[in-house]
Amino acid sequence: MNVGCHTSNFIHVPRSRQFGNKNFSSLMLCSLQFSVSLGMQDDHRLSTSDLEKKYGTSIDKGLSSARAAEILARDGPNALTPPKATPEIVKFLKQMIGGFSILLWIGTGFSWISFGIQLAQGVDSAFDNLYLGVVLALVVILTGIFAYYQEAKSTNIMASFSKMIPQQALVLRNAEKKEVPADQLVVGDIVEIKGGDRIPADIRLIFTQGCKVDNSSLTGESEPQSRSCDFTHENPLETRNIAFYSTTCVEGTATGIVINTGDRTIIGRIASLASGVGNEKTPIAIEIEHFVYLVAGVAISIGVLFFIISVSMRYKILDSIIFLIGIIVANVPEGLLATVTVSLSLTAKRMAKKNCLVKNLEAVETLGSTSIICSDKTGTLTQNRMTVAHLWFDNQIYSADTSEDQTTQPFDQSSPSWTALSKIVTLCNRAEFRPGQENLPIMKRVVVGDASETALLKFSEVILGDVMSIRAQNKKVAEIPFNSTNKFQLSIHETDDPHDKRFLLVMKGAPERILERCSTIMINGKEEPLDSEKAEAFQTAYMELGGMGERVLGFCHLYLPENEFPENFKFDTDSMNFPTSNLCFVGLLSMIDPPRSTVPDAVSKCRSAGIKVIMVTGDHPITAKAIAKSVGIISATSETVEDIAKRLNIPVEQVNRREATAAVVNGMELKDMSSEQLDEILREHSEIVFARTSPQQKLIIVEGCQRQGAVVAVTGDGVNDSPALKKADIGIAMGIAGSDAAKNAADMVLLDDNFASIVTGVEEGRLIFDNLKKTIAYTLTKNIAELCPFLIYIIASIPMPIGTITILFIDLGTDIIPSVALAYEKAESDIMNRRPRNKRKDRLVNEQLAVYSYLQIGIMQSVGAFVTYFTVYAEQGFLPSTLLGVRVDWESNAINDFEDSYGQQWTKYQRTYLQWTGYTAFFVSITIQQVADLIIRKTRRNSIFRQGLFRNKVIWVGIFSQIGIALILTYGLGHVTALNFTPLRFQYWFVAVPFAILIWVYDEIRKLLIRRYPGSWWDKNMYY
Amino acid sequence: MGAAAPPGTCSSGSALRPGIQVINFCFFFTGLILLFYLVFYGFLAALFTFTMWVMLQTLSSDIPKYRDRISSPGLMISPKPDTALEFYFNRSDSQSYSEYVTTLQSFLESYNDSKQSQNIECTPGKIFDQSDAAVKKACRFNISDLGQCSGKEDANFGYSKGTPCVLVKMNRVIGLKPEGEPHIQCTPKEEGVVNINYFPPNGAMDLMYFPYYGKSLHAHYLQPLVAVQLAITPNGTKEEIAIECKILGSPNLKNQDDRDKFLGRIAFKVLMSE
Repeated sequence: MNVGCHTSNFIHVPRSRQFGNKNFSSLMLCSLQFSVSLGMQDDHRLSTSDLEKKYGTSIDKGLSSARAAEILARDGPNALTPPKATPEIVKFLKQMIGGFSILLWIGTGFSWISFGIQLAQGVDSAFDNLYLGVVLALVVILTGIFAYYQEAKSTNIMASFSKMIPQQALVLRNAEKKEVPADQLVVGDIVEIKGGDRIPADIRLIFTQGCKVDNSSLTGESEPQSRSCDFTHENPLETRNIAFYSTTCVEGTATGIVINTGDRTIIGRIASLASGVGNEKTPIAIEIEHFVYLVAGVAISIGVLFFIISVSMRYKILDSIIFLIGIIVANVPEGLLATVTVSLSLTAKRMAKKNCLVKNLEAVETLGSTSIICSDKTGTLTQNRMTVAHLWFDNQIYSADTSEDQTTQPFDQSSPSWTALSKIVTLCNRAEFRPGQENLPIMKRVVVGDASETALLKFSEVILGDVMSIRAQNKKVAEIPFNSTNKFQLSIHETDDPHDKRFLLVMKGAPERILERCSTIMINGKEEPLDSEKAEAFQTAYMELGGMGERVLGFCHLYLPENEFPENFKFDTDSMNFPTSNLCFVGLLSMIDPPRSTVPDAVSKCRSAGIKVIMVTGDHPITAKAIAKSVGIISATSETVEDIAKRLNIPVEQVNRREATAAVVNGMELKDMSSEQLDEILREHSEIVFARTSPQQKLIIVEGCQRQGAVVAVTGDGVNDSPALKKADIGIAMGIAGSDAAKNAADMVLLDDNFASIVTGVEEGRLIFDNLKKTIAYTLTKNIAELCPFLIYIIASIPMPIGTITILFIDLGTDIIPSVALAYEKAESDIMNRRPRNKRKDRLVNEQLAVYSYLQIGIMQSVGAFVTYFTVYAEQGFLPSTLLGVRVDWESNAINDFEDSYGQQWTKYQRTYLQWTGYTAFFVSITIQQVADLIIRKTRRNSIFRQGLFRNKVIWVGIFSQIGIALILTYGLGHVTALNFTPLRFQYWFVAVPFAILIWVYDEIRKLLIRRYPGSWWDKNMYY
Repeated sequence: MGAAAPPGTCSSGSALRPGIQVINFCFFFTGLILLFYLVFYGFLAALFTFTMWVMLQTLSSDIPKYRDRISSPGLMISPKPDTALEFYFNRSDSQSYSEYVTTLQSFLESYNDSKQSQNIECTPGKIFDQSDAAVKKACRFNISDLGQCSGKEDANFGYSKGTPCVLVKMNRVIGLKPEGEPHIQCTPKEEGVVNINYFPPNGAMDLMYFPYYGKSLHAHYLQPLVAVQLAITPNGTKEEIAIECKILGSPNLKNQDDRDKFLGRIAFKVLMSE
């Protein structure tokens, strides 16, 4: 194990953690390193002929088809095994026993047991219990199916995402070149790759021609790396003669022997390790669990308490068990978990519209509780394209517009120096637009050429218009392309002025190299000698632009004298028969990958929302810091330790580290840091940039943040990001730049790669947390109004006020749409102006919420419903005083002349029918009061009138559906005996209205006092 | 559920202030919570009482507001055995039927002439409508109309002779005016096991006992009775005799409801041994 770690310099493992067996990530990376070295121990060292021997292949002929088929049968196809999915049936069964389902199954069990006993005793009503059991079981199964369906639907979105176009590989077999699907490749195959191809397997290169690969998906380094056949490094991951599966060949061609396929490739190993990183429970899952425990606890304790009470009140055990079922059913909000799922998926849909595709529904809320975002720079914070940001000519720095949709450039273009400079920029450039894009905005056009040249081409196209025709008018007669030794690019052109027969030599390159070749400098269109003062000015400008993290290019030109270089002069670029010194320096242009225009605003939103944004990038610290400053990750006024040292002119060691709010940490420093030191940095600095980091270090940073108790969101695109994406509380993969492995490991996919989309996601996440709170408060309230009847029935022996089936009709009927409607509620105040919620303190269901719902509003609802109940009975002849203690006679089948308060006599069935009328009245009262409950739950602090009664239209859909369903049940299905509903006199609908109004008024008073006296006793106890 | 736990108040308080102050602080908050709920629930209780009082004020003490749930009366018998309307007795063992006899005796007590002194003689065969009268009079029901089942001739109501009596009565329903000529008819499930005699003859229920005006207005009201004498034949002593009694002859008295087995009818079983 340790051998692998010590020899590693690909993966940086902090020393202090090396032996900590608890630390999963370091172990994992060690083992990765170890296995990597094992698997490819020699291949990069072996000579071509040894390789041929080892893999039984021939470089000229390749494998035989038969041999290839044999190896394919042995090793399996060259594809990554998808992460093991949980079997569907397990997922389904999980839904069946999760949450409240267990309680309901217990209820079902009890119902059937009591059915069995009663059947044996020959009780007529035994079948009621059978039906009740069936209904309860149906409720569990249906809600289970629903939850499963919702879950499956959101998984399917992802499945469509991972579909890929089948890849082809050019392979040599039976001495013939042919195209085969990449998954048919086997070890020993000779493959050819060319610029633009994805490397189809891990390949030992045996022949290359200007081959460069983009290893960013593996190492995060975005600079293309050149590949050759030479063995350059002991470490297989560092040596140049190996190309890795899933990386891309940027340019050149190469031929190589396949040495690893499928899961045995480096990428395959990383991907399989990533799937080993356990998924942590999402915050909302923890909250819901907490809430389920709370409600189940209340249900069971009340159930058991009243079971004991009823037994000691000499009820039969069987009756007591039936009461127990009633209490459980009344206490469990059967529809709530389904409602939560629907609310989350509604939000997920809304987020998908804003380019956040959520894979796991619960991640919706996780984003809302995020307190640290570790963001990539390139592509996420920036536009992922070089753009000209500054110019320097005539001794002055000009800023260029770097926004995404620039159409003009505002800087002063009147100087003749600019005319000269623009000519060089336009002509000394090999990049070209792909044809057929004339109608596209310039910034969106596809360019053939490297990043800087593309930037320059677009820049000149914006300012000068049709660059291609300018180039045509200034015909190119000779050219020396850029190379790394001379570090300049040169071309010679005819001029577009027909009277001017001189040739124009234009050159661009590294500024210091360009300056070396110049003897004059152009100031306001006039050539002036380049003296030390002017050279000094150049240096200052160069340093300033470089200090902004920008890539600077120098430009110079020379009009070749007509007498020495006549019209038909043959330029020879090899012998350089033209001057390349004593040129005229014209200006500097600097380029940067500029921040996306929406990002600074998004970062400041994060800041006010109490979310720390940490930039993690593989880029150079200076560039990273410059971008961090321009987007506000490092604010204008804050300084790093180095800045303070520079300002005070003291050594870095003497600076009080606490004074520095910002920190730029280099990957090399991070490598040598202990976890305590990292913790200190994360704690002490509010603005942090990690530069020159490898994707592996991202995992270490994420773990450091999590040690601070933060909920961490991490963005990533490369395969090597996947462990960090998994480890993070919410992993965010890039939809455009992201690799499939990253998308698989992530909880969310950012379709536009834009950081600002994360922030809108955070907003939605926070909103849904608030709204779920409201939904739960709404749902819990009526549980008391359903429970009280049972308790009073047991204690006061009155006729049963509400039936178990009726309760289910409230929980799964009238209440469902309104509770979903609360998910559409707008935020009460700017939710992006408060701190992220504290995982431990700010619970979804806190004591205040439970107490306020259960003991205050719930009790008020019960009172209102009981008034209706007593009214119904009194108006039919049973005054409240007559009802007390009648339970046994009332329910006796043998008593058919039960006397009411007026001397009338009732048969059993007449009483039962009246009892059902009572159920219906109780049901209607709860429904009416739930309308008030729904309205008050729209806000937790603000007055309803401020929130607007009509702004959330869905609430009204909820209210109408609630009343509509109640109307259908009472009048439409009132004659179906099994449902226990009866048509109700219309006035009974209004008995509870005063109580509904009271609930509203009381809640307005509560909110008023909370607003008036923040921090007071009332606020602490009444704000949920 | 009990008293509300003071959320977060005490714990946060104690974290801040040590010593005796904490205890006071805690007591203060717990006290405040208790006080709050005392006031809150006190208010709700008062509100409940008040609404109930208002509701009760709207009710008449004489007749219920609605009587639609008992538009048609049920039938009931006396004596009513504990075990689901099944009579088991041995005619030669007086202990076995003494309970039935005492029940009948106490039931008929209120029909004694002495108890009916204020009751008036009414015109038979006619509804006795007294809706205009302030004081509603009750019609006299002559216990002698029950003949052999009156208890006057046979103190054992025929149980010792194998001719047990069962009284059938119709539930009191305020304002009910039967139409036609209502009478009770009982039929055994099997022919030939029992001969049935009715007192008054034909099991008639006289219309003069209707309508009923309610407990408070119609204080001395006695509902009409029909005695059914079951002369059990020797064949009938071997097994249970199932008998169903129905009210017939009146179109507005229902006796065939699917769900309500006691609406205008009643079924019972008799098993007499010798």
